[in-house]
Amino acid sequence: MTSEPLSRMQKIISRPKVTHPNAGLRRREAIVGLLFLSPWIIGFIVLKFLPILYTLGYSFTDFNLLNPGGASFVGLDNYFHFLTDLDAWSGLVGSVWYFITTVPLELLVALGLATLLSNQRVLGKALWRLVIFIPSIIPAAAIYYIWLGFANSDSGWLGRLILTPLGLPPLVDGNGLTMIMALWSIGPGFLIMYGAMLKIPHDLYEAARIDGAGPLLRFLNITLPMISPAIFFSLVINLTSAFGGSMLLDRGYVFSQNLSISPMEGYIHLIMFTYKEMGYASALAWVMFGVTMTITILLFRSARRWVYFPEEGSHETL
Amino acid sequence: MKLFKRRRNVGESVLTLKMWRFTGAAILNLIILMLLTVYVLPLLYMGVTSLKEPDQVSAGLNAPLYPAAVVQVRYQGGEYPLMEVPTKDGIQQWAMIETHRTYSEFIDPQDPDQGLIRWDGYWGSLKNVYTFQLTFDSFNSWKEADVPLGMLNTLIVIVITEVGVLATSIAVAYGFSRFRIPGGKWLFFLLIATILIPDSITLIPTYRTYYNLLHIWLPRQSFLQSSFPIPWNWLPLIAPHFFSSAIFVFLLRQNFLSIPRDLDEAAMLDGAGPLRILIQIILPQSIPVVATVAMLHFFYIWNEFRISGMYLGANTNFWLLAARVQNGQPMLGVNPEPSIQSGALILMIVPILVLLAFQRFFMQDMAVTGLEK
Repeated sequence: MTSEPLSRMQKIISRPKVTHPNAGLRRREAIVGLLFLSPWIIGFIVLKFLPILYTLGYSFTDFNLLNPGGASFVGLDNYFHFLTDLDAWSGLVGSVWYFITTVPLELLVALGLATLLSNQRVLGKALWRLVIFIPSIIPAAAIYYIWLGFANSDSGWLGRLILTPLGLPPLVDGNGLTMIMALWSIGPGFLIMYGAMLKIPHDLYEAARIDGAGPLLRFLNITLPMISPAIFFSLVINLTSAFGGSMLLDRGYVFSQNLSISPMEGYIHLIMFTYKEMGYASALAWVMFGVTMTITILLFRSARRWVYFPEEGSHETL
Repeated sequence: MKLFKRRRNVGESVLTLKMWRFTGAAILNLIILMLLTVYVLPLLYMGVTSLKEPDQVSAGLNAPLYPAAVVQVRYQGGEYPLMEVPTKDGIQQWAMIETHRTYSEFIDPQDPDQGLIRWDGYWGSLKNVYTFQLTFDSFNSWKEADVPLGMLNTLIVIVITEVGVLATSIAVAYGFSRFRIPGGKWLFFLLIATILIPDSITLIPTYRTYYNLLHIWLPRQSFLQSSFPIPWNWLPLIAPHFFSSAIFVFLLRQNFLSIPRDLDEAAMLDGAGPLRILIQIILPQSIPVVATVAMLHFFYIWNEFRISGMYLGANTNFWLLAARVQNGQPMLGVNPEPSIQSGALILMIVPILVLLAFQRFFMQDMAVTGLEK
């Protein structure tokens, strides 16, 4: 008799009655959260998503800015034109080439400098860190002016103070200059790697030393894996600059065509602003978008193999 | 006995080890000093060249590295350059009075009464005698470009966009770090993906929209043609920053996540709303990262030329610094190099001063925020 209401009461207590008010709270939390996200969501739709779709739409037309009314649907013609356009191909190959040659070099130099500076016996670290970072905040135009003068074979210092004393030939082609200029703006990558190296717990090295690991082994087996997220982060920064994005600091825009850090971007701008052929420029932009996204996805896929994530669930963050 | 001996050996090896350590450290520091000297050499080149006379740059290898001027000698009312003339008695410093193809005539400044000295050879092979001299003429050549106005315009744009980008990025980062939103993980993934989208893909429709707006729609709006001109051409540069910046959201969110939630939960029990929690609890603990983001944005806008260069507009009063320096470059007589280098110095001086002023926390925080994944 008495057990009946008791069990009913137990049922009532144990019933997940909490879900109802909690669901309301959760909905409220989600709505407030979305409100906070709204600047980005609106911006994403208006500034990224719609323009990308529009660009796709334009790429199927012969839309010219000088004759905006006369655009007509031309199907895949712009893409077929790209296949036979040698200048576009050389731009694309140039951008990819920049990514597979200059970017690894940038990473290596940044890694080398970070390794050197993280050594305890180095004096004046704060000053050196500043010196390495300063060129990264210089406007691209100023960098261009400085290096053109610095590398000038008659009055510049590059030949006079570095190349000639070392017995090296003078620098003539623009590619070498672009590469050197890129190496001159490794600041953010360097700083991130350097910071990561300082954060490695010292007992890891001690343990390895006791086990008899030399400096090279310690570097390969402790330093590199521990700072791999920082290396990956710098790689992503450099990827964006190679394909004309702008991430931490705007580095990429140099005005002369043959000295542009991203030749493909330079070519798209030429088609856009000089010839005003928006349709073809859109098709080229989509080709570049496809290439960039493919490389990005490949990089992120590969990251799972070589980037060390200390905590669980940090895969999703980067 | 054996033990004692071994101990002495250890003592010796410690000493040699110390010596090795010392030489090692010295070599390491020397290498770094050399590497970084080479690294700053272009900056040094810029500074030194901006203080040179155009003629000295034209002289190339014959002129010294430091800013210097050709020594002139007064003789019978005229000024003549002092040259290094190789003679039988070694190199003489003589003033060159008259030049001919196969011979030239000189005066010895020590003994001008001696009269003209004839020297056989082509005068073009002789070197000038230089003396240290600074000139600030190259900076004067930028007067017409009105650099201060350009700096002021840039600063105004920076202040406006700084407010926009900080307010929106902080709000978005707060949304991502503190609220359970269905599909929030995917939204965040999308945010990261937008960082990697190249600008060209969005440029064309954006350019067309602004082009129509600025060149077709605006001129027809008579009520907007006020006596005080409004810098409409700044709109494409300013507007995007009011929709947050993905990379700043990423950096801020990392920092917000590292702040313990206990405090906001306590405040929530006290009846604080989400906005109050953000302003009174999260932000005071995030001042370094907010300042870092603010500085990154400062550098970004100061160096920006992509967008501001596309929509310069006819009214040059509203041009930003970069456009002024790039389009206002004066034609100088002999060699424009000193004024080009002083232009580069003008472009970079403010960001460098800002970095130097705030470098202590900026450098540390930049290193830390970047890697806390």
